[in-house]
Amino acid sequence: MGLKKILADKETWVGLGLIFGISLVFGLVSHPGLIKRFLAGEFQHAFILKEDFPQVVFISLPEAEAAWAEQKAVFIDSRNLEEYQRGHIPGAISVPLEDLKSGREDLLLRIPDAPEIIIYCEGGDCQASLNLARWLESRGFKNLRIFSGGWAEWTQNGLPVEANVAE
Amino acid sequence: MLQNKNVLLIFRLIVGGVFIWAGVSKIADPLSFAQDVRNYQLVGPALSFLTAIFLPWVELIAGLWLIVGIYPKSSALLISSLLLFFIVLVLITMARGLDVDCGCFGTFSRQADWRLIAEDSLWLALSLALLFSPANDFCLLRKKSSKA
Repeated sequence: MGLKKILADKETWVGLGLIFGISLVFGLVSHPGLIKRFLAGEFQHAFILKEDFPQVVFISLPEAEAAWAEQKAVFIDSRNLEEYQRGHIPGAISVPLEDLKSGREDLLLRIPDAPEIIIYCEGGDCQASLNLARWLESRGFKNLRIFSGGWAEWTQNGLPVEANVAE
Repeated sequence: MLQNKNVLLIFRLIVGGVFIWAGVSKIADPLSFAQDVRNYQLVGPALSFLTAIFLPWVELIAGLWLIVGIYPKSSALLISSLLLFFIVLVLITMARGLDVDCGCFGTFSRQADWRLIAEDSLWLALSLALLFSPANDFCLLRKKSSKA
């Protein structure tokens, strides 16, 4: 039975239509609460429920810059070590998410006590800062901030950078 | 293609089982899966959310129908296409140097890497064997004309 014959068979398409249709209906009726919240504009930054991650808050560049200038927060760079060494926000501590995921939990010991922990990654579409924040929240860290503009927004605005500093 | 109906039945149980497991493990927690989709950095939040609501059910129903034999060609075609898509997706992700969880089986997911491609290729081979085999015994709904 060739692919052409299968594709030419009307029954193939009826079956596909049924699978998609039933899935759509089940998908919509199985999570009405989430769909309502999504339509109300939630989950634009991240797919987390505020009530599940109360310690995670998203901040913009002015907020990140102010916290940096006032030195009231510790900055965490969640990108990999090479990217960090090429350049990072001055004073930021390197905690690469990918190293953490491969078992380097000792990296968490680098994070000092601070009123706020501001996490960033490359910027744009990067998800490392969010995933690191989820990780940290599950380990009991508090007052986590995600600077979603990240490294890209920081450098585009000509803010100070630091480079070639060992971990 | 394969004619041995017992072998084909085992293939159906394996591939269908994998897809049922893939669907069920994600249906319970769509937000986690939406984040997994988002981590691939190919689609925005809206499409990631819709994928997370929709795709696990597609996997579950296609897997179920493949096993019990409801529109077996449709489910085999759909599963084969999905597997091919997943393989290409993981290849693209690796080429871009992204380190992501595959999102395949909810909390049981692991890294999207070569091992995952090998695994998906195996399921794809079984699924294609089912797609192109004339025999479709043990089916709830089948076309008499397509029987071997």
